[in-house]
Amino acid sequence: VVPGAGEHPLQYNYTFWYSRRTPGRPTSSQSYEQNIKQIGSFASVEQFWRFYSHMVRPGDLTGHSDFHLFKEGIKPMWEDDANKSGGKWIIRLRKGLASRCWENLILAMLGEQFMVGEEICGAVVSVRFQEDIISIWNKTASDQATTARIRDTLRRVLNLPPNTIMEYKTHTDSIKAWEEFHGLVNTSGGR
Amino acid sequence: MSSGCQKTTSRAIPTRRVIVNDATQMPIDYSTTPGGTLFSTTPGGTKIIYDRKFLMECRNSPVARTPPRFLPNIPGVTSPNREEDKPGTNHTEPNHVATNSNHLDKPSGDDAQFEMDI
Repeated sequence: VVPGAGEHPLQYNYTFWYSRRTPGRPTSSQSYEQNIKQIGSFASVEQFWRFYSHMVRPGDLTGHSDFHLFKEGIKPMWEDDANKSGGKWIIRLRKGLASRCWENLILAMLGEQFMVGEEICGAVVSVRFQEDIISIWNKTASDQATTARIRDTLRRVLNLPPNTIMEYKTHTDSIKAWEEFHGLVNTSGGR
Repeated sequence: MSSGCQKTTSRAIPTRRVIVNDATQMPIDYSTTPGGTLFSTTPGGTKIIYDRKFLMECRNSPVARTPPRFLPNIPGVTSPNREEDKPGTNHTEPNHVATNSNHLDKPSGDDAQFEMDI
C-alpha cells in the first residue's frame, strides 16, 4: 500500500486485524492464527479513516473478540520475530470506555506520539465479558527507558487518572502462562 | 501548516532543542510536543508526527469517507456500504451517540479528553 495523491502519509504502514474466539475448545496457537482475519492495510491518514469509519467501534463488538492494529509485516502474535523479545502494557477498562480509549490509543500510535523510535509494534483492544482491555506492544521488553516512556505517553493520551493500574507483561511470560494453563487443562483431562 | 514556501534560496530547516529532564515537563496536551508542534514533520524530516486534532480533521475529507475497495465483509464487524447508505450517520447505537457526533460533525481535537474513573 502507498498513500494516494494528496493524502497524508504515515510514518509506517499498518494492518487492521480482527479475531474472535470460537466458543468451546481452547485455542492452540495454530488455531489462533486461523481465527485471526486481516481487515486491510493502509499507508495514509485518509486510508486509515476509510477503514476505521467502516468498522464497528470496539464497544459494539459482541463476544470474545479483538481488534489488532499492527505495523504492516508484524503479525499480532507473540511468536512473530518483532514481538518475541517484546511485551505489552495492559490497561483494564470498565465497560463503556473501550471505544474512546481505543481511538485515542491508535491515533497516538499512528501520529507517532510515543517517541520511542521503532519500538512500537501495535495495539490491541480486547472485548471480554465484564471488562475490556487495551494494550500496546513493543519490541524490547527489557528496554526500561522505552517501556517507561510508553507508559507515560499512555497516561497522557488516554487521560488516565493517576491511580489507574497499568501492568507490563512480557510475551515470554504470556506464553508461559498460556502453556501452564493449557497444561493444566490437559492433566485434568480437559482437552 | 507552514504556508510561506521559499523556492529561490535553500535554507536549513530551523530546529530548536528542548531539553526534557522529567516526564512532568511534558505538555499536558498530547497534541503538543515539548516546545510546541509547528510542523507535521519533525525538523529534519525524520518522523511524520500528527496530533490528534489534525488526524480528526482528516476524517472529514471526501476520500476518507469512501469504504476501502477490498474491505472484507465481516457481519457485525465491518460495514462496507454503511456510509454510502446513510451519509453522516455511521452509527445508530444509542450508547455511542456522544462519540459519533464527536467523530463526524466537527474536527474535534479541542474537545476535552474525557475523564475516566476506573
